[in-house]
Amino acid sequence: MTVTTEGPWARAEQQGGRPERPGTFVQFTGGRGELFGRLLRGYLLMLPTLGLYRFWLTTTKRRFYWQNTVIGDDRLEYTGSAVQLLIGFLFAIGVFLPIYIGFFYLSFQSSTIAAIGYGAAALLLWFLSGYAIYRGRDFRLSRTLWRGVRFDQKGSALGYAVRRFFWSLLVLVTAGLAFPFMAGNLWRYRYSHTWYGDRQFTFTGSWKTVAGPFYRAWAVFAASIAMAVGASLAGYGAAAGLSVLLALVVGCLCFVYYRSRETSRMFSAVRLGDASLDIEVKARSLLGQYLLYGVCVIGALIVLGLIGYILSSALNANFRAADFSAANIARSGWIGVALGVGGYLATVSAFTLLGEVFIDCGYWMRVARGATILNLDSLDDVRATAEDSSVAGEGLADALNVGSF
Amino acid sequence: MPLQARYSDGATATMRDVVLALDTEVSSPELIIADQHSFDEIDRWPVGRVFSLPSHSSELRVGVEGRPAGARLVFTGAEPIEVAHALFPELPSHRRREAGRQLRILGFSTLALVSVVAAYVFGVPLIANRVTALVPPQWEANLGAVAEGQIMQIINAEGGFATCDRDPNSVANRAIARFTAAVMEGSNSPFEANITVVRSEIPNAFALPGGHAYYFSALLAKTESADEFAGVMAHEIGHVIYRHGMESLIASSATGLLVGFVLGDMTNVSVAGAVGATLIDSRFSREAEREADRFAAATAVRLGFDPAALATLLERVAGDDTMSQSLAFLSTHPLTIERRAALEAMVKETAGASHAPVFSDAEWQAIKAMCGGVAANPVLSPNLIPSARTHSVPRN
Repeated sequence: MTVTTEGPWARAEQQGGRPERPGTFVQFTGGRGELFGRLLRGYLLMLPTLGLYRFWLTTTKRRFYWQNTVIGDDRLEYTGSAVQLLIGFLFAIGVFLPIYIGFFYLSFQSSTIAAIGYGAAALLLWFLSGYAIYRGRDFRLSRTLWRGVRFDQKGSALGYAVRRFFWSLLVLVTAGLAFPFMAGNLWRYRYSHTWYGDRQFTFTGSWKTVAGPFYRAWAVFAASIAMAVGASLAGYGAAAGLSVLLALVVGCLCFVYYRSRETSRMFSAVRLGDASLDIEVKARSLLGQYLLYGVCVIGALIVLGLIGYILSSALNANFRAADFSAANIARSGWIGVALGVGGYLATVSAFTLLGEVFIDCGYWMRVARGATILNLDSLDDVRATAEDSSVAGEGLADALNVGSF
Repeated sequence: MPLQARYSDGATATMRDVVLALDTEVSSPELIIADQHSFDEIDRWPVGRVFSLPSHSSELRVGVEGRPAGARLVFTGAEPIEVAHALFPELPSHRRREAGRQLRILGFSTLALVSVVAAYVFGVPLIANRVTALVPPQWEANLGAVAEGQIMQIINAEGGFATCDRDPNSVANRAIARFTAAVMEGSNSPFEANITVVRSEIPNAFALPGGHAYYFSALLAKTESADEFAGVMAHEIGHVIYRHGMESLIASSATGLLVGFVLGDMTNVSVAGAVGATLIDSRFSREAEREADRFAAATAVRLGFDPAALATLLERVAGDDTMSQSLAFLSTHPLTIERRAALEAMVKETAGASHAPVFSDAEWQAIKAMCGGVAANPVLSPNLIPSARTHSVPRN
């Protein structure tokens, strides 16, 4: 029996007609519509709360993802709360204030010192973002409950940040060629310090697991860039433009291809005692998500543009009729600015919202529905460990904009 | 049929299918949890200590106080959920209380944030002043040198920015230096104001932190009297004395921090943040312009030239159009009408003071001739100047 995994309409078929493989399927019962509703409500509530509602929105969004992920008849549960995120954010401000004051001090220095200082600050932020990613992961895992037992992230966030920092410098220096080594190393660090109750995860993958797909994608992309550069140097006007466009498209395709391979192969190298994970995410189904996102963004832009056009022409008609008193002019200025700022916010929010609904949610749906767990029964004798109540890590992730889901 | 549920004890990773029964014989009712097949009792939960948890719409998920945090009963399906609700009549009010608690936290933190923003918007013009006094003048001089270097770089790339009269001992430059010293007298400013007339097609003048100020040839061409010239220079020296460049840097740094906090993006990459920051910063900037105008007017009264001349020049160079009137709250400068009104009010207060010329006729003629007529340099983008954190008199 063939299974279609293309497009959003494939969900029903997929749920009913999965191929017979050994092991337990992971299910995802949520729909984009529900997520869209939650996000839209959250975005609107952010306006009157000056953005503070974001902590509640993150919480409700996580509940959506967790509650709809079903492993062996039991749903995941997210036990974190918005207040914890709020407190975590206040901690993060404590970290950021000194950096901010440092920036302020630098602006008084001579250009050279300032350039060195800003460079150092950028490196510090890059380093901190590794720390924040790890602490954020700890926050989410330790608030994930399945069958009454929670997960946890141990290991050292600082150690992870150091590894990620130096690996990423090496990747930069080698024009990306060192990436599989970084990926293998960081995945191993993350998963070999992940726990479910008193049982530790292991990671059987290495750089070899992703080397093939990565170097293939790298070579194809490099070749397309070389072609574009060659065409530009040779001075073929139209051909050069076309080959740059081609390089962009090829780059996107390579990215999607590699992402699907990394997801499938790396997750499939995750073990928990005798239980093992097996994930298959097809590149073309991921690509479908991106295309869908593109179509929806264009649609949203057209709709927003039409609304803006109708509003502004209604406004114009209104003011042409009225006399040009100072009060009227001032009012039209205010309305115009409000319209501009509102339009800007609406456009940015629409981009983010659609990105979350199609790309983030689409990715998670593909991962969850492509996942099988072998030997799930072996987890029956896992025992719970004590509570983890640290909240500081997630705030930093939020502040640095690296928090996920 | 007895009520069925999935149960976990929160100690081991197993979910068991259980049946439930209510024991009302004891002092406070207890829920008996028993294995679905053997009917062996597994646990007893005090009904009053059961609380509900956020759960998927197809489920009701409850936990209990006094057991491991992961202890759960999960009811699935409409009918079991309904029966369970009858078992735990307290759940809806618990849930309402929890929702109310969340709402209060959100409400109070929003109120706190609103008051922080309000305190900031109304308090920072005052605080920035005090903080500026604490910044060593040497820092400000460094900042001015950096800004000057950047401005020169941009301007040189666009075709040059030549000083009109390089001889510091010429009649015109000596007259300007004498006037500058007279304005600065008694101000206790750590800086030495230094005004240079330069060639540019933009009718503008601006002051940098640390004391350097520039008067553009195109503005000089439109300046019809020595009093107008003196008014603009006094305004720019006002910026130097009040350290407005420094103040605006402090204020906009604080604004960035605040907007970053509001939007939760401390790295401040968000453009929405920039919009908010611009709105707040332009308010401070307008206040600084008013302060420099007041200084110019007070100086005019002290040195005996006409305070309203500044406004006359402003109107000639940058009269308000309808657009600038309606968008006044976005501008870095107050409306010209408003500035004129404020300047004229000062004039009325000091009516009767003698109006003696600040420059002799010969000096004024020498100043007018500094650049040899109208400048003939390429057009310089007017946006350069505000973006370099400087202050200009007329708006472009």
